[in-house]
Amino acid sequence: MKPEEAARLLHAYVDRELDAAKSLELEAQLAADPALRERFERLRELSAGIREKADYHAAPSSLAARLSAALPGAASIAPRRATRWILPAAAAALAAALAVGIALVRPGDEDALLREMVASHVRSTLGNRLIDVASSDQHTVKPWLSARLPFSPPVADFSPEGFELAGARLDYVGGRPVAVLVYKRRQHLIDAFIWPGSGPRDGAYSRDGFNVERSSAEGMRICLVSDLNRNELSDLARLLIARR
Amino acid sequence: MTDRRRFEQQVLPHIDAAFNLARWLTRNDHDAEDVVQDAMLRAYRHFEGLRGEARPWLLAIVRNACFSWIRRNRPAEVAAGPDGEAAEAATAPADGPEALLARELDRRMLNEAIAALPLQFREVLILRELEDLSYREIARIADVPIGTVMSRLARARRLLAESVRVIAVASRLQTEK
Repeated sequence: MKPEEAARLLHAYVDRELDAAKSLELEAQLAADPALRERFERLRELSAGIREKADYHAAPSSLAARLSAALPGAASIAPRRATRWILPAAAAALAAALAVGIALVRPGDEDALLREMVASHVRSTLGNRLIDVASSDQHTVKPWLSARLPFSPPVADFSPEGFELAGARLDYVGGRPVAVLVYKRRQHLIDAFIWPGSGPRDGAYSRDGFNVERSSAEGMRICLVSDLNRNELSDLARLLIARR
Repeated sequence: MTDRRRFEQQVLPHIDAAFNLARWLTRNDHDAEDVVQDAMLRAYRHFEGLRGEARPWLLAIVRNACFSWIRRNRPAEVAAGPDGEAAEAATAPADGPEALLARELDRRMLNEAIAALPLQFREVLILRELEDLSYREIARIADVPIGTVMSRLARARRLLAESVRVIAVASRLQTEK
């Protein structure tokens, strides 16, 4: 591979758009060429920096209201408050689950784990099994979880910051039992998967409208899954870590 | 199930993605709301034509609505700027300086630098980095060949890295004064 071609393909490699043969060829070149390697690292940092720090502009709630009034036909989503957000959330969840299932780029433990968590989020929004213990009181939720798990996850309500604790459930992800805290923000549901351990890859990922924010703090892995925008999701991640 | 209900379940959940794209292209909350509302109504009228995934389909409609809006309100933005592979390759340095210290990347600075990118580069960058779409999906949305997506994305990152570095140097000079 010529140096110009290698430089050109770096972007596709960072974006995971390179086929296996070309990736191997480029990886050999990267190993042999420190300058190319340096460019690759910078490029990856830039991409990660944009994903982490660029504003994600979520639609204001007034827009959804305007649309609802402007669309022809009667609004058919059940008007009951409690169920209003479940239908769109469930539809997005199902679409994401299908997309994740079909379009998984790289096999591997981390991706499998991600897929399991998105699937769990989907199942919980589709069925009624959102929450095993429904409470916004951390003093109710925490003991309930601790009694059923071999560890004690951090539990906190962040209603003042706009993340209302709705409750928690137990789940089984990556071959281990995990705690799932369920938060509500506007129309969005956020699942926070928590288990002891540390992870090699922190950061934000997204899969067809679903965002996943992975972080770890003091021996706990915290993974947030939601259709909420990335910036607000990382706000919750920071709150959880600070609380821990 | 009524059309409206199917639309509410399949398309409306992607309203954040629609707004995010429109907001980055129009660079204004109010205009983005108007454009997204028009695009959503258009999407509803053409809902029968939806095959496959709803999000890229919706984003293509939103993108076209944004470009129509920009053509009407800021014609200079679409008309200006060299495009096409040749022009991009000609101005791209062989050893492009994507280099920057990402850790120093200030949030406000970065957002300003992205907003300042020429439209055709901003568009692919947002679709790739914030919406995590594949080259193929971006090509379909922006209605250009995949090769053009790749060269625009490379150019977008290069321009962004350069302007962030310039801003960083300027602000360092300011603090040293």
